[in-house]
Amino acid sequence: MDNNDKEKFLEALLKGDRKGGSAIAKKYVESHSDIKNFYENIIKPSLYKVGEMWEYNIISVAAEHLATAVSESIMNELYEHVISENRSPYKIVLGCIEKEQHQVGVKMIADVFEMHGWDAFFLGANTPNADFIDYIREIEPDLIGLSLSIYSHMPSFEELIKNVRNEFPNKPIIVGGQAFTHGGEELIRAHYNIILLRNLSETEQYIKHFEDEHKR
Amino acid sequence: MNTKDKKIRLIQTAKEIQPFTNETFEEYQLKIPEMVNSLNQLMLNRDDILELAGSSKNIEMMKDNHSNHAYFIASILKNFDAEVLVDTILWVFRAYRSRQFHPNYWAAQLNTWRKVIKEHLSTENTQKIVPLYNWMQINIPAFTELSDEKILKNKSKHKIN
Repeated sequence: MDNNDKEKFLEALLKGDRKGGSAIAKKYVESHSDIKNFYENIIKPSLYKVGEMWEYNIISVAAEHLATAVSESIMNELYEHVISENRSPYKIVLGCIEKEQHQVGVKMIADVFEMHGWDAFFLGANTPNADFIDYIREIEPDLIGLSLSIYSHMPSFEELIKNVRNEFPNKPIIVGGQAFTHGGEELIRAHYNIILLRNLSETEQYIKHFEDEHKR
Repeated sequence: MNTKDKKIRLIQTAKEIQPFTNETFEEYQLKIPEMVNSLNQLMLNRDDILELAGSSKNIEMMKDNHSNHAYFIASILKNFDAEVLVDTILWVFRAYRSRQFHPNYWAAQLNTWRKVIKEHLSTENTQKIVPLYNWMQINIPAFTELSDEKILKNKSKHKIN
């Protein structure tokens, strides 16, 4: 069932068929009762395929952007399934670091936190490092989340980590994104309390671990 | 040698490049805007630039590539990772070869980068960075071969009706 849904969803993205994509999403979520599966098994591989198609010049950058925009709008439509009525007392501030534009992955992570009743302050793409820290100071979250897709942005990522640690030496930071597929782990190990989460399943496990450790 | 072994060999030879100091990274990073500007001017002044870039439509993409190259190399100078280096270069070759950039483009580009780095960075840091550019230059045929193999394979795989 997943392969068929994946193909149809990808086709809808490439055609800019938001209505068709939305219908597939709603049907999938109703039959699987789990948005995370839809994110992990349908949206994520579809967008990876879209990226690959751009790489091989099968589609244009406009088509790639359209596919991403349609995916995000469908994720927004599913929001009633995301917000949990059982609220937890925890907050996370998360987003892409400065110059980083790929925000769909971290948006999924934000939604997973919301599904667990957290208040997730999702900052989206390309938040300047100084503004990110100002916002952390304002919100006083229990957790910070940083997303990085492009390896070239590692120096900026490291700068942000250092500045966050200067002011918040103990606050846990979760990180993720395609930049960590082949590297960056040494950099993470060099800093205190930074946790790499590679997918939604690891994110959920971490949430449960965090809540057990910080029971209120 | 099969594709997987060719890639492993690239990673192994990349690991022989000496790690870089923070001082080298900082000077390179600081000078990126002026280096990219110099590189663009030199490349655009070439008589054969349209042949190298594939078409006039690709000139803006080429300029983006020059900027992306500089920021990527800076990240490699800061946190050297042989696998990331090889994977990223292969991705660049695939993306740009798919759009008809000529394999000679990289030879021309990297030669010009050497000139620009020598002009803008200290002698000491230039000498530290040169082995990385040597390695990239020597392996252009390997990058071209590996990327072309994948491009041909994927052209038939992805068809949109």
